[in-house]
Amino acid sequence: MTTQRLPAEASLRDRLRRMTWKGERIEWSAYFYVLPFFVPFVIFTILAIIFGAYVSFTEWRIIGDPLWVGFANYVRAFNDDFVPKVWGNTFQLAAIVVPGTTILALLFALYVNQRLRGFTASRLAFYAPRVVSVTVVGLVWVWMLDTRFGVINQYLHKVGVPYIPWLTNPDWVLWAVGMTTIWWDLGFHMVILLAALQDIPSELKDAASIDGASALQQFWHVVVPLLRPAISLVITLEIISAFRIFSQIFVMTQGGPAGASFSIIFYIYERGFMNTELGYSSALSLMLFLTILVVTLIQLRIIRERA
Amino acid sequence: MVARLKLVMGAQGRLTVGRVLLWIIGLWLAYMWILPFVWMVSTSFKLPGEVMTQTIEWIPRTWTLDNYRVVFQKPIIRWLWNSMVVTTAITLASIMLGAAAGYALARMNFPGRNVFFMMLLLSLMIPTEMTIVPRFIAFLRLRATDSYAALILPPIAEVFSVYLFRQFFLSLPRELEEAAAMDGASRFRIFRVIALPLARATTIAAAVLLFTTNWNAFLWPLLITFSEEMKTLPIGMAAFAPVTMNRTQIESYAPGMAAMTILGVPSLIVFLFLQRYFMEGVISTGIKG
Repeated sequence: MTTQRLPAEASLRDRLRRMTWKGERIEWSAYFYVLPFFVPFVIFTILAIIFGAYVSFTEWRIIGDPLWVGFANYVRAFNDDFVPKVWGNTFQLAAIVVPGTTILALLFALYVNQRLRGFTASRLAFYAPRVVSVTVVGLVWVWMLDTRFGVINQYLHKVGVPYIPWLTNPDWVLWAVGMTTIWWDLGFHMVILLAALQDIPSELKDAASIDGASALQQFWHVVVPLLRPAISLVITLEIISAFRIFSQIFVMTQGGPAGASFSIIFYIYERGFMNTELGYSSALSLMLFLTILVVTLIQLRIIRERA
Repeated sequence: MVARLKLVMGAQGRLTVGRVLLWIIGLWLAYMWILPFVWMVSTSFKLPGEVMTQTIEWIPRTWTLDNYRVVFQKPIIRWLWNSMVVTTAITLASIMLGAAAGYALARMNFPGRNVFFMMLLLSLMIPTEMTIVPRFIAFLRLRATDSYAALILPPIAEVFSVYLFRQFFLSLPRELEEAAAMDGASRFRIFRVIALPLARATTIAAAVLLFTTNWNAFLWPLLITFSEEMKTLPIGMAAFAPVTMNRTQIESYAPGMAAMTILGVPSLIVFLFLQRYFMEGVISTGIKG
């Protein structure tokens, strides 16, 4: 038996060894390197998304089996008065956080890039909030934003500003969450911009200043155009993370007061996990995913057209 | 005078009023940026009755450790242990899986390589929040919620790690590996003895980034843990958030700030020592986009 099988086996191994892909010999062992990553990746990301899409067409209350309801969850989302409100809240937050972080991160990066004494300590300070848990960020700011005893209102009061009800008034709460987010996120974006600034050859600026360009002209005509890809990247990352704001809201406001700080993800969480409406929650997250995809694609196109 | 100011500022080139102002404003902003941490630590040592004061007091009138005693009534040692186990496991697994897959995608020829790579690129556009409902249902059905497996398994397939390693191995000249192959070294030997040791800086940058991300992870651990014993540190400590309490429970912010000091200061100290790797990690994320 064994003597009969051997040649066949040998030839199979031989054939595998000689097989080519795109003109080169195939290294079959590659799958041992790739699959340990791709098996969990496919299960926890790809299959999860497909399964999530299925759940969005069902009614599922955790206990019991899913009930196929077709597009009912999507119809409901379009008729749900709270959906435009949470989108509105999220856009308002983005309108505070995205320009705020971009402009400040750019200014801070320009300052750090001057390498004046103490710049390493400053860079450290600007990045520091990013390394602590969001629980710390949220709680420390809740205390600082306390209407009567918080440091911020106490200092503002000294210069004649009345006490601002940051976290208890629907008109102020998004500003409070936005400020906190800027403090938390700024360092990350500053470091990306700083890396881009350091890549600008100093000869370019020297040439401009020999030609008699002022510091402002240099900045506007030499630095900004060269920074454009980095700025686009920073803005894209910020928009995406603004759409995904959740933890700050969980820690600081739980969506309150009166739903004024419900973000999209917080609504998805509240529907799916507080009210066990998994189907509706999945439909909402699929709609969010499509929005993020569209934003990313538009951004990519803008970057490509400018480049 | 001007020469001395230049020396103090470490300024090169011409000294202008603008640069002096920039130097002062920059340092002032950096100081303002860390004041919230100073306020947190300061409050944590105050007597609860001396927290809500009419004027701001940066130095506690009376120093006390009472707030820390309140925090230790919670099972924080257990939470700390959970966070250590979970974060270490995820980081090690992500690094190993990422290095191997990244190496194969950069160096080896096999059918499906481009498909794998396209899947990675596409998944960078998918927010993790998309996957939480289905993941939650899956773990619920398997009766595996509230366990280390549920905390560790979903985040290990970290795309970012593969991407980082692939970029690095692509940038590595092939000659070294080719010479070793001539000498008859197997692919695995080349990977382990030549390629991987050269990726030391990448490994550290990825590890630092993975560790902080997962140490601070919030949404998934919040959903998947139910019992006090299985909570991670950030989730457990979130119980000190005033919004989750009713009005009468908020006697003072002091115990909360003690909890936040315990949670935040170790991260800050680690950052102080490893800051270079934090920055490198961020820059490679930037290049990724």
